[in-house]
Amino acid sequence: MGKEVSESCVDSLLTEMVASYCDRFYANKSELAARRIEAIGYQVGHQLSERYTMERPRFTDHLEAIKFICKDFWSEVFKKQIDNLKTNHRGTFVLQDNRFRWLAHMSVDPSLENGGASQDPSDAGESKAAQATSMHLYFPCGIIRGALSNLGIPCAVSAEVSNLPACSFVVRIKA
Amino acid sequence: MIVCVAVVGHQNNPLYIQSFTEADDALKLHHIVHCSLDVIDERVNNPRKSGPMLNETFLGLLYPTENYKVYGYLTNTKVKFILVTTDLDVRDADVRNFFRRFHAAYVDAVSNPFHVPGKKITSRTFAERVSNIVKSFGFSSG
Repeated sequence: MGKEVSESCVDSLLTEMVASYCDRFYANKSELAARRIEAIGYQVGHQLSERYTMERPRFTDHLEAIKFICKDFWSEVFKKQIDNLKTNHRGTFVLQDNRFRWLAHMSVDPSLENGGASQDPSDAGESKAAQATSMHLYFPCGIIRGALSNLGIPCAVSAEVSNLPACSFVVRIKA
Repeated sequence: MIVCVAVVGHQNNPLYIQSFTEADDALKLHHIVHCSLDVIDERVNNPRKSGPMLNETFLGLLYPTENYKVYGYLTNTKVKFILVTTDLDVRDADVRNFFRRFHAAYVDAVSNPFHVPGKKITSRTFAERVSNIVKSFGFSSG
């Protein structure tokens, strides 16, 4: 039997976690905050991958594991699959989600957008907004890294936001 | 009767090992478990080409000794489960069913946020669940 989770609760929890780490525990040390949030994601991914790989045969290669992340793992966590997977066949994979659930209800704070109005209005606002969204992506990055590490694939994961609900995760497998 | 079950981590570190005998033969059983790790390695690195399921988690009978039968199971996350039993006519389906339930118990145990990955499983709930699964081994055919 599937268990249900309130989406707005998860959204609020994620937002609150990012806010706590960025503004309270590690105010002005965004690097450290990012690492802490990523570490929480890592543990979550580690545990989830254990559960979701239960009744399936072992993976033979990296591509199979990545496909598992794109399809089954993503469906379990986000109720949808990754929209596009690209690879250079040398250990780098780009997973693109056109409507990433945790960014879907996110809007950019208008005060941020107007913040740099005096000089270069679009630039300053956009970079601040991009920073704010990217802080929210360390958690899912950690989840992917945790899941893959648990499957025996050490890797580094980073995220890029193009236009808001869409984002892509770049997985670099360590040789 | 199941005399010993063990969980071994991906670096061959013991995560949980429990014997279910009255006699003082824990050391002997641990030795059997230890030996079976090599057999698992061999199975995984040189899979038999004819095998129906190449990468199945259930590894089947690892090796029979004079008194025991040893079965193995390897998860996707390279965690090994080992079962030592004294029953000589064991049905494969029973063993599969055992490992499936054991795996579920293991997953629940490691999903505990207070469990440190790679450390021994000390949860009492897990121990109780395992002993229940061990007791019901062979009776449930579903």
